[in-house]
Amino acid sequence: MRLQILITALALTAGSAFAADETETGEYIAQLGDCAACHTAPGGAPFAGGLAIASPFGDIYTTNITPDPQYGIGDYTLEEFDRAVRRGVRKDGANLYPAMPYTSYAKVSDADMAALYAYFMKAVAPVHKPAPASDLRFPFNIRFGMEGWDIVNRPEVGFTPPYDDAQLNRGAYIVEGLGHCGACHSPRNLMQAQEGYTAASDRFLTGGTLGVWPVPDLRGPESAPQKWSDAELVEYLTTGRNAYTAATGEMALVVERSMQHATEADMDAIVAYLKHIGLPAAGSDKAAATGAGRSDDTTAMLTAAKPDMPEGARLYLDNCGACHTVSGQGAPRVFPNLVGNSLVLSDNPGGFIEVILKGAMMPSTRRAPAALAMPGFGDRLSDDDVAALASFIRSAWTNDADKIEAETVKKIRGQL
Amino acid sequence: MTDFAIDRRDLLLNGVASVAILALGGLAPAMAQAGPDTLENYKPVYFDAAEWAFVMAATDRLIPADGEGPGALATLVPRFIDRQLAGDFGKASRWYMQGPHDPDASPLFGFQLAQTPAEIYRIAIPEVDAHCRTTYGETFAALSDADKDAVLHDLETGEVDLKTVPAADFFAMLLANTKEGYFADPRYGGNHGMQAWTYIGFPGARASFREWVGQQNTPYPLGPVSIGGERA
Repeated sequence: MRLQILITALALTAGSAFAADETETGEYIAQLGDCAACHTAPGGAPFAGGLAIASPFGDIYTTNITPDPQYGIGDYTLEEFDRAVRRGVRKDGANLYPAMPYTSYAKVSDADMAALYAYFMKAVAPVHKPAPASDLRFPFNIRFGMEGWDIVNRPEVGFTPPYDDAQLNRGAYIVEGLGHCGACHSPRNLMQAQEGYTAASDRFLTGGTLGVWPVPDLRGPESAPQKWSDAELVEYLTTGRNAYTAATGEMALVVERSMQHATEADMDAIVAYLKHIGLPAAGSDKAAATGAGRSDDTTAMLTAAKPDMPEGARLYLDNCGACHTVSGQGAPRVFPNLVGNSLVLSDNPGGFIEVILKGAMMPSTRRAPAALAMPGFGDRLSDDDVAALASFIRSAWTNDADKIEAETVKKIRGQL
Repeated sequence: MTDFAIDRRDLLLNGVASVAILALGGLAPAMAQAGPDTLENYKPVYFDAAEWAFVMAATDRLIPADGEGPGALATLVPRFIDRQLAGDFGKASRWYMQGPHDPDASPLFGFQLAQTPAEIYRIAIPEVDAHCRTTYGETFAALSDADKDAVLHDLETGEVDLKTVPAADFFAMLLANTKEGYFADPRYGGNHGMQAWTYIGFPGARASFREWVGQQNTPYPLGPVSIGGERA
């Protein structure tokens, strides 16, 4: 047993896969690649597809990648499987939509591809059911059009270790490649292509948007990877919570389905890499702390609880204060800190407003099984209430972000 | 005496559940009625006209309008009882209702009647009215305040002999449900406008007051807030 772990660890570190059990390695590769995030629909059979991914061009449905020969990928050879994952080309020669992050998977090693193939063919249960067809507007429904997109935007297959350090290289391999973190955390250009696929690009991992949600910058001086300690980053990525905040929305799923399974060595490599690629100033995140002393003013006002306090502050006391407390700092690992919180302060308030209206839930992981949840307040707060409350929180304590209009809240409520 | 109070834990759990359901489904609370929130505008969902008249009259004597605080009618307590009897409490959904039913058992053995709370009200009210007609020539609702109080007193002490349920048990249930309707969150139909909370200075469902632990000899300045977020 110990020998097997050692061999697996060696194999992973070396990026080759002569692991004792190839399907087991393949399962781990599938976890790091978070295939389930898209190819397993909520409540659906594993890898049977059917999850709708909204794109500016229409809904893209994920496909059945179980080894069913008719509806899945059961009749794919390793070469055909490889071409789909790393090049974005289907068995029949049609181009996949780049909702499939083949532009990141291009970096996956041959050995990992073989293990992944072995896992899907031997260890995943076939599901004899078609996934729904994607529903894109013309001309985006013509897959042939993707050919041109691929020529311009698709990186070459292969991974050239960029650093002289094995750990950093392993981190880059996971973050830039398998983990496809850039698919959400990098901005996209007018062609909806990810801006940069390696840390050599100053746009890579500097934040983006996902639906109405802001996706945080991971490289600027105020970004979480640059501000948090290694241990705090590991805790966030493996349990979905730490002293400051909690993962919610898509990131909660990433933690639950993918990151919590990372080996200790891989998690350390991810963190070392993220720390290493910090930029002097970049990204879309709002710098937090300004106006020293104002922190105490808000706390004092909420503590005194005078009836003539501003409406936003009153709404905070009536709805939020019990958990997030008068200091806004909540409680570590339980109630996220609202002071300097990137979701709260983002230029794009969509995610913040959605959490107020709909609530949020932490992921359940082996190390932190409790899926702690915040209830939604959409039924007890009007659009005006949410606007006043959100505006208050964004300017309370040392927070300093723009006001939210009721119109914005109404729009987001309409999209829920 | 048997404790007929609606279990506080049930009430809280139901409250949490309904908040969750509201959050999920965006359903409006069951408040469908025309015009302002008054007993006149309210159509009982469980009680018939005679039962409703009795409950209105009895709760009005248990927490009268001319006391220190608001009365049971101003706080819509009868509406609370009507809704509770139409729901899980009325049906004793979560109680052990199989025998043996031993009226002489210690209260430690729990509820001992064979009937559900909804059935008890349905059986007891006509029996009380029958007693009132025999003794005073009128139904309970038509009696003078003094006579009503005398009847309630006789029920409490068990001096009235109701045919089917022990009078004292019925009175205990009616009194407990009246208090609950007075103090429960307005979501459940009573405590209208949080008047009862305002009267006793209870700040409501603001949930945590840790920052007040150290603020001694300072009256808490804010009025109550309900589970639904209304202020008073």
